Amino acid sequence: MELNTDLLIIGGGSAGTMAAIVAKEQNPDIDVLIIEKAEINRSGSIAMGMDALNIVIQPGLSTSEQYLDSVKIITEGILDYKPSLVMAERSYALLKRLESWGIHFPQNEDEEYISLQVHAKGKFLVEMDSPDLKLVLAKKVKEAKVKVLNRTIITKLLVKEGRVNGALGFNVRSGEFVVCKAKAVILANGGCARFSLPNSGYLYGTFDYPGNAGDGYALAYHAGAQLTGFEYTSCSPLIKDLNCPLLYITLTRGAEVVNALGETLDFEYLSPQFMLNELREGRGPIFIKMNHLPEERIKEIENILFTTERPIQKRFWEERGVDFREGLIELGETEYQLCGGHGFTGIVVNERAETSLKGLYAAGDVACVPFQHLTGAFVFGEIAAEEAIKYASTIKHIELDPSSLKEEEKRLQNIIDINKKGAISVQEFEYKVRRKISDYAIPPKNETKLNQMLWWIQRFRAEVSDIKISDYHELSKFEEIRFILDCAELSVRASLTRKESRWGWFHYRIDFPERDDEKWLKHVILEKNKTNGEMKVSLRDIKDRWK
Amino acid sequence: MTLIIDENLCTSCSECVECCPMDIIRLDENGIPYQKYNECWYCGVCEEDCPENALVIELPFLVK
Repeated sequence: MELNTDLLIIGGGSAGTMAAIVAKEQNPDIDVLIIEKAEINRSGSIAMGMDALNIVIQPGLSTSEQYLDSVKIITEGILDYKPSLVMAERSYALLKRLESWGIHFPQNEDEEYISLQVHAKGKFLVEMDSPDLKLVLAKKVKEAKVKVLNRTIITKLLVKEGRVNGALGFNVRSGEFVVCKAKAVILANGGCARFSLPNSGYLYGTFDYPGNAGDGYALAYHAGAQLTGFEYTSCSPLIKDLNCPLLYITLTRGAEVVNALGETLDFEYLSPQFMLNELREGRGPIFIKMNHLPEERIKEIENILFTTERPIQKRFWEERGVDFREGLIELGETEYQLCGGHGFTGIVVNERAETSLKGLYAAGDVACVPFQHLTGAFVFGEIAAEEAIKYASTIKHIELDPSSLKEEEKRLQNIIDINKKGAISVQEFEYKVRRKISDYAIPPKNETKLNQMLWWIQRFRAEVSDIKISDYHELSKFEEIRFILDCAELSVRASLTRKESRWGWFHYRIDFPERDDEKWLKHVILEKNKTNGEMKVSLRDIKDRWK
Repeated sequence: MTLIIDENLCTSCSECVECCPMDIIRLDENGIPYQKYNECWYCGVCEEDCPENALVIELPFLVK
């Protein structure tokens, strides 16, 4: 299949759908195509809706400055302030846009949005009651006459004359090879949820949507874009085994966290690291306790948890025989992930969503706008569209290079062909890759341990030819393993470079246990060396407000 | 881990096959949905979008 578009958006989740809608708003005549790995009505991390917009600066209630101060605390200073500032400044208009589309933000009796404090310096979180959020976005995409190609995985970005000019991939059901020529490309295909192994041992039991295998990080890296924040390997305390979220929903409504000794944990603002520390220091298991809350509060919590984002929780608790009125909810540590929304791992972008590569923009979890959450995905979806449209209107298509098309098509065909004799199932292979990531690429880190991971990555890359691939669905899983391995290498090389400890446990180096602001108040930047194809690591100064 | 289908309600409309974010559901020779790939995220989209309410997900043994 050969496609030709002005603007190609890879990934039709929160950021991608918003980018497509805004692009058409800006210029209805422009040709916009979303290529989505799943199906756009229910794809990305918000398939079953979301219960809050985490960052909204409401006039009279909070300021962008307060938000910047808060995010600076969380990132411990590793923050270019401009993208976060732009996000904060546009956040209220974004809420109003969503509201005009029928997304419901409940208000109290004084007609104020229900706002909760989860950050250090202000009330930025606004409750949202929207189980059908993704359906609304998908409908808007269709109304705007955006073209959508579902069930298609992108495996390569094309670059010519220093510009991204298209992408290649295949249909995960039919195997049809897809070639797409584009004037500009927006990457909006999520972080890497499938990084270390969940403690349940179930490969797909991850906190974030497991379709996010680091596709965008790997695509951007091989195309030559800069990435950052990969040493920030993070996890959260969520429902043990199920790995579904409930922290904000319960704790902002009066629930408490207690440890194994029956002590109530006392924290100034919501700190997942503080809770996880109880587990590491042997005071686990830790629990969420709600039995002191009035019935109406418990019902309110149940109503959110059992209808929005991960409604399967209802069945989980019923099967376990836990009622929030009496029982405790055990919290466990999720797998470690790499994410630009819940952390700050991602493609380097500026306040215009531009990557370091011409013609390539990034938005949402794939981009490094630290702790941007859903607000950032939407706002940077808007920005990426505005900027990409401007850029695309000034240039002509660059013809694709037929040899790179053939090369990629042949590579994919070969995986299916040569592996017919392979003996290892794709799942068994992924299990081992992620088992090794759990062994060597997550904290506590040290140089020997991280080098062990590099050894395993090389070995895995040599062994992938032993994987048995029998259909195109499995071929897509094979490609995702390739992405996961790239993410592991990016993370390990960044972790080896940052010879200090930062962000509490998440980048704790046992061989460099102290935080060292004098030397390390810098970004670790990763990119592909154009000459030898190896991973190049460099340091870059922080773009602070005062510089 | 399986999908539990009420065969009296299922009309073989394929909605569950089309909506699944992990693309793991297919119809068998009798038109009844089954989980072809062992990669369910238990997001619940198939249950929610089934027009006949004919489908329930069983949580994976490792998780439940």
